[in-house]
Amino acid sequence: MPDPKSGEAVESTKRRRLLGLLGGGAAVSLAGCSDQEPSDGGDGSDGSDGSDGMDGDDGEDGEDEPQRTNADKAQAAWERAVANPLPEDEELRKEAYIEMEEAVRDDAAVIPLFHSFTERFWYDYVDVPVSGALGAHWQQYNTTTVEGQSELNLVNDTFDELDPIMSTDTASSRVITQLYENLTAFPNGVPVIENQLMSEYEVSEDGTTWTFTLRDDVQFHDGSQMTAQDVKYSWRRTVESENSERASFTLNQPVGLGIDAETDDDGNVVADSLAIEVIDDRTIEIQLVGPNPDVLDVIAYSSFSVIPQGYVGDIEGYDGEVTHQEFSTEVANGTGPFELDAFNVDEDVTVVRNDDYYGEVASVDAVNWEIIEDSQAAWTYALEQNADIFSVPTFAYEADAIDAEADDRGRQVGTYGPAGELNEEVNYVGVSEISTYYFAFNVSNTQRAARQAIAYVMNKDQIVQEVFAGRGTPAYSFLPPAIWPTGNDGYNQFLDAYPYSLGESDIEGARSVLDEAGITTDDPVDMTLTTYESQVFQTAGELVRDLISGTGVNLSLESSQFSTLQSRGEDGDLEMYSLGWIWSWPAVPYGMFQLEPLNTDTSSMPGETNGFYLDWQTRLEEEAE
Amino acid sequence: MSRWEYFIKRLLLTVPVLFSVLTFLFIMLRTGPIDPVAARLGPQAGAADRQQLRERLGLNDPLWEQYVDFITDFITFNFGQSWVVQAERDILDIAVGAAPATLWLGFWAILLPLFIGIPLGFYAGLNPNTFGDYAASLGGIIWQALPNFWLCVIALAVLRRTREGGELLGINWYTLGPDFAARDISITGTPALEWFSTTDVLMLPMPYVSDWTALAIDIKLILPPALILGSASMAAELRIGRTAMLETVNSKFVETAKAKGLPSRVIVWKHIFRNAMIPLLPVITSEAFLLIGGSVIVEQIFNINGLGRIFFQSLTQGDLPMAGALLFLFTLIILGLNILQDFLYTVIDPRVGYDQ
Repeated sequence: MPDPKSGEAVESTKRRRLLGLLGGGAAVSLAGCSDQEPSDGGDGSDGSDGSDGMDGDDGEDGEDEPQRTNADKAQAAWERAVANPLPEDEELRKEAYIEMEEAVRDDAAVIPLFHSFTERFWYDYVDVPVSGALGAHWQQYNTTTVEGQSELNLVNDTFDELDPIMSTDTASSRVITQLYENLTAFPNGVPVIENQLMSEYEVSEDGTTWTFTLRDDVQFHDGSQMTAQDVKYSWRRTVESENSERASFTLNQPVGLGIDAETDDDGNVVADSLAIEVIDDRTIEIQLVGPNPDVLDVIAYSSFSVIPQGYVGDIEGYDGEVTHQEFSTEVANGTGPFELDAFNVDEDVTVVRNDDYYGEVASVDAVNWEIIEDSQAAWTYALEQNADIFSVPTFAYEADAIDAEADDRGRQVGTYGPAGELNEEVNYVGVSEISTYYFAFNVSNTQRAARQAIAYVMNKDQIVQEVFAGRGTPAYSFLPPAIWPTGNDGYNQFLDAYPYSLGESDIEGARSVLDEAGITTDDPVDMTLTTYESQVFQTAGELVRDLISGTGVNLSLESSQFSTLQSRGEDGDLEMYSLGWIWSWPAVPYGMFQLEPLNTDTSSMPGETNGFYLDWQTRLEEEAE
Repeated sequence: MSRWEYFIKRLLLTVPVLFSVLTFLFIMLRTGPIDPVAARLGPQAGAADRQQLRERLGLNDPLWEQYVDFITDFITFNFGQSWVVQAERDILDIAVGAAPATLWLGFWAILLPLFIGIPLGFYAGLNPNTFGDYAASLGGIIWQALPNFWLCVIALAVLRRTREGGELLGINWYTLGPDFAARDISITGTPALEWFSTTDVLMLPMPYVSDWTALAIDIKLILPPALILGSASMAAELRIGRTAMLETVNSKFVETAKAKGLPSRVIVWKHIFRNAMIPLLPVITSEAFLLIGGSVIVEQIFNINGLGRIFFQSLTQGDLPMAGALLFLFTLIILGLNILQDFLYTVIDPRVGYDQ
């Protein structure tokens, strides 16, 4: 499914206001995504032959210590992980990723602030599976039952497209999940991959040829049989259609599948050159540019949804049964448990049960989403029991009314209320999502001691409490706990070893690390924190500025437009800045690639490199393999 | 100059006004802080994509050519497509789709103050310095002082509490009139406006109300937001109505009428009322102007999918052509209302003209 609240800037501005209310920043997610242009070849290639990636041209290293730096350590670990992509090397990759985390932490190149925490409430007459860390927009409602009424009523945000290859936001994917399906899926948003339209798969020895066998009992809503041709057509659309917003997920590695394709002189994919071969009606084979351990995760992403061959004529060789404009808002023809009934943009969406669904046929006749942006209106709608599953806006939220316990996936499951205007007890789940919002530094513009001092004084628990009324998870690692390579125990070990005084503002710690580096109030350093327009980061920035003042670091705050922040980041013109990353699928490398030191070189951004704006440079003479 | 010449002159004067508005819009859109290409493509677009889009949007043409295109497009209502809010959809379609809800809201927001504010004001003017006068005037001032967004939030909170036990003055808003609770209708939302059909009368389609329940539901849905949206103008009408009434009551011709023995009913309705309407007219027509601006907040909080909300979205999301097109439409509406006001003036007050 589309990454939550992410998307191109245009999309995200739409949500910025909304998220402003939630205290987050929609825009952040695009930090990550923005760098994945189809044109950049992915850093899989320069990672696997690390030696020529390190050939001197980006060599102005800012640090003079002769020993192996943390950046070197991280670079070596990344290369080790990329060089060992096969399933049997999983342990080795896990260790490598944790090593990268440690290097980032020790250099304080990135200071994670929080993981977003979403809560979901539903009335007792609804029986809905508990959603997981990837978000409830992955949930298909065919297993949801509602007592005493034939429809399930929900609230959604505004969105304007139902084309899976255009969808980059949660709002549209809530609906698209009901209509269209993929070869694989994360049912209910729990980060465990399962087959959906696929019955089995095979992968070649070298990990580059994948053969998928499809289910033979799947029909589209119009009654036609789903075949391998449909899959090929749908996947071609992701790279050839001008409407596609996620071509990189098909073409790039390791931030996508990396299916082989020919490109013309302008960098566009040649029509029908994508290396997908239809073996027979039920079998399809793809050829990747290199081995990729995350294939099954990636193809669960909504842009890989299957639509009937030739349904839309936006790629070469097809006239299309419907125009693209009709396809984006008026008609849908997928394989999902619900069929599109009506979509009134900005008002409501209704989907009705697909009686011929191959899986469990839905018990409700229809699912209806009322589109409400305003939290007062949405809360009214929920209290009226017009919404069966809902969220509680911060102004009505009472943390004490929650009675929940952690389940085996770390989700808080239990009850909420009665509280305030809500007169009854409702069901509750709180999930820490797979996203990370962080402060980061351009390492070559800042001193390590100053960065560490900021890590010392930053009390993430307090910030989360103050800004979100506790509705966030303080972050201590870039990788969220839900996908920590060595599981919950491993994550706790990492927390135990956290060097910057976990859970408190340690001004003494900051002072001592600054003293060692010779930074005092008499000989201070100046640093500028640039945030985008986000209440969370601005408040956090103010707290940090006040705490660090008087220790020798003079932090000044500035806020800029999101796009300005990005282009300044790409120019290497930032010192400390705020951004976020939301995982579109729960794979560690989809996220970690941005911390590969060589990939953080801003002098070749945008284009060759697409990491964070860290300029976290390795010592070139110390090649680490 | 006769009053009709005056009217035509006013009509012609709207043309330069329209052009200045268009020019202003053009300058705002082209030189404003938002780069149309970035707003549309987002920062991950490559340089080639940007260049291609600049060319497609005509941003590489000479400025005067863009200006001429812009003016001709807008005058012919060819607004093009939305960039962000409802990407790729025709702006005119979007506006036409959202307009009925706003018109419905505006209609009631003008009607309610007319029938509450003016009678109250006239009552106060006819009975000056009585308890009734003080109560009406004070109530009006307080009502006007309350900001709309606050009223909206409070109204929603109060009304939704009437649902389960927390009845307000014994009234359960949900079951009052058409039963919302039984129909699972929210007190927020966009009115469906599907209560009329058309029938052919002498070959012309004539609308008539085909579903009275649906009409009642739509009226009930729109009453709270309309009352709030019209609150400021209701209070203004009350106060001006009172003053106008007082002034007219004490004028000489009323005294003359009284002296010649006209019954007071005739004096009030035939002589005082018409003259007191003159200062009220600009107040009423300029209300429509306030309603367009004010409906943004009311529509947002009551979740009404109308022009105000779309305007708000297009402004906050950098959808320049849509914001520009809506502003242009609003300008047209206001110019139209001004002309209507002048027309009514010439009808009500024969003395109107330039020369006097």
